Amino acid sequence: MRRRTTGIAALVAVAALALAGCSSSGGGGGTGDGGDDAPFKVIAFTSGNQTPIGAWWVKAVQAKADENGWDLTMIQGDFDFQKMNPQVESAIGQGADAIFDGFTDYASIGSIITAAKDADIPIFAMDSGTEATDAFVVNITTNQQGLVDSTLGALDESLGGLEGKNIMVIGHDPHPGIRLRASLAEKDLKAAGAIIAGGEIQKVKSPATGRTEALAIVADYLTAHPDGLDAVWVGWDDAALGASKAIDEAGSDAKVTGSDATSEAIAAIEAGGSFLATINQPWPEVLDTVTDDIIAFQKDGTMPAENFVAVDTTLVDKANAADITPSDKL
Amino acid sequence: MTTTNVPVQPRTSIGKFLVQGGTTIALLALIVFFFAMRPDVFLTFTNVRNILFQVSILAIVAGAQTLVMVVGDFDLSLAATSSLSGSAVASLMLGGMPMAPAILIGLVVGLLIGIGNGLLVAYLNLSAFVATLATMTSVIGLAYLVTQGTTLFNLPDGFNALGQGRLLNVPLPVYIAIAIAVVLWAVLRFTTTGRKWYAIGGNVEVSRLSGINVRRGRLMAFAAAGLISAVAGILLAARLGSGSAVQGSDNLLFSVAAVFLGMTVIKSGQANLVGTMVGVAIIGVMSNGLNILGVNSYVQQVVTGLIIIAAVTLSGLKTRER
Repeated sequence: MRRRTTGIAALVAVAALALAGCSSSGGGGGTGDGGDDAPFKVIAFTSGNQTPIGAWWVKAVQAKADENGWDLTMIQGDFDFQKMNPQVESAIGQGADAIFDGFTDYASIGSIITAAKDADIPIFAMDSGTEATDAFVVNITTNQQGLVDSTLGALDESLGGLEGKNIMVIGHDPHPGIRLRASLAEKDLKAAGAIIAGGEIQKVKSPATGRTEALAIVADYLTAHPDGLDAVWVGWDDAALGASKAIDEAGSDAKVTGSDATSEAIAAIEAGGSFLATINQPWPEVLDTVTDDIIAFQKDGTMPAENFVAVDTTLVDKANAADITPSDKL
Repeated sequence: MTTTNVPVQPRTSIGKFLVQGGTTIALLALIVFFFAMRPDVFLTFTNVRNILFQVSILAIVAGAQTLVMVVGDFDLSLAATSSLSGSAVASLMLGGMPMAPAILIGLVVGLLIGIGNGLLVAYLNLSAFVATLATMTSVIGLAYLVTQGTTLFNLPDGFNALGQGRLLNVPLPVYIAIAIAVVLWAVLRFTTTGRKWYAIGGNVEVSRLSGINVRRGRLMAFAAAGLISAVAGILLAARLGSGSAVQGSDNLLFSVAAVFLGMTVIKSGQANLVGTMVGVAIIGVMSNGLNILGVNSYVQQVVTGLIIIAAVTLSGLKTRER
């Protein structure tokens, strides 16, 4: 009996020591105030690693980590938050100095935000929401209103004005950026006197089938209204390419704009068909800025001046298409 | 203790007619409805061609799914297989390989995946759900590896013509889909293989005792389905002029839906090619008609689901009646 009691006591002591060890080893090495010599520990995560830009980001952040001597934990979510969020929370539990969110909307990572706040670890982000939020110490994204202004400006110029023109708007609600810019485009088109083809934003349900969905929507609309379309404003290039194909196959003169500056969209613009323009979003420059913010925090705990920054984008049309690095070739 | 006998109401002939012909009636009703709503557009040559073009790839995938469902299984990897085959062909051609061998390799990819599924299900006795779910996961990963997560484009004009070219002003994929459907229908209806497949789907044990090689039959059905889905994927790549890891992924859900809808067309309630094509037509007509009427795509999805529920319910009623 005494042996058993001694054994249990020894187990409890070992467990207590182990737990004490765990708690004392919490937190990363080189904290924000530049305390010790352990490497600065960064947890980076993205749900969009299967997209070309997400795949680029994973490699680019790894390169930044190597360059700056960070101890990087990279978590790739494959658009599966049920898989990704616990992985990130588990990494947070093991301690870190900073968290870097790439292209993952704050609405989808509530549990990560809570875990980071509890552990007092700042989250730096790029393109992770379209409005300011306390979840991030900084989130740098692109100026959606500027993007809409540029694309509508291109349509305005090509069509000789927007008033009275039938213009379809194609969006995708689950993506906050596309949802916001589609609603801005619809509002601005109405304000300019354009008629929204179909009466409302046409919604693509899945990004995976965006091209075929947009193709069917535009083809069916043109069948029903053979001369009823002057332009299609689309929130992203893949669906814009589907809309463009439908227009070309129907022999319509309508014009299309997209966003993302993918190599296929740029090639379509250069070919001079219905694809009029797209938008280049400066992700490498945004990554540099967020990295500088993390380095400033690493040095002396300096936090970014603003927690939300929207940078300008570049309209890509036939005039400058050859000079743009496509987003899938970064 | 008393017992109550609930009298069985004999189904009226109209009720029987509605149950047995429900899906076909639904298709006709949809056509009449959309024609009534837009008589100037719906049954024009341009729009009918439009519908046929839009469902041609789905019809091929659904044909493949029918084969597997005839033997009593189903294949969750068909859409992924078609994406991989299309992506593989695109990748090979962009790497400089001529069109014909690239297409041949794409077809072999589909065939091998089908054989793999068949071996897992028929010889290792894995459930079709688990086996094809696992295959689907790996095949999608392979497709991402082949495409490097990007969209492959700038495919040769000759290849794009397979998906975008026209004969007598009708797109080539429509002819290819019709040809494949006719061949599959003939195989299922007139060949020994087709009859064996139906026997296996009807009762595995009885088929085995009757001397049918059940394992080989199921393997062949999966292999044929893989090959046919590869054709669909290659045509889709040609139709869009590009290949990606996820394009055509909605064909999985719609192909299963089309086969279920089709199962309600015949008395026996089994998967059958004609019924599947009726199911494909319902999906195509509904999507096109609702687009023409300007119905929100979210509402379209709800309606599609409701129609599938209605059809499967009808199918269940018919089975109970038998």
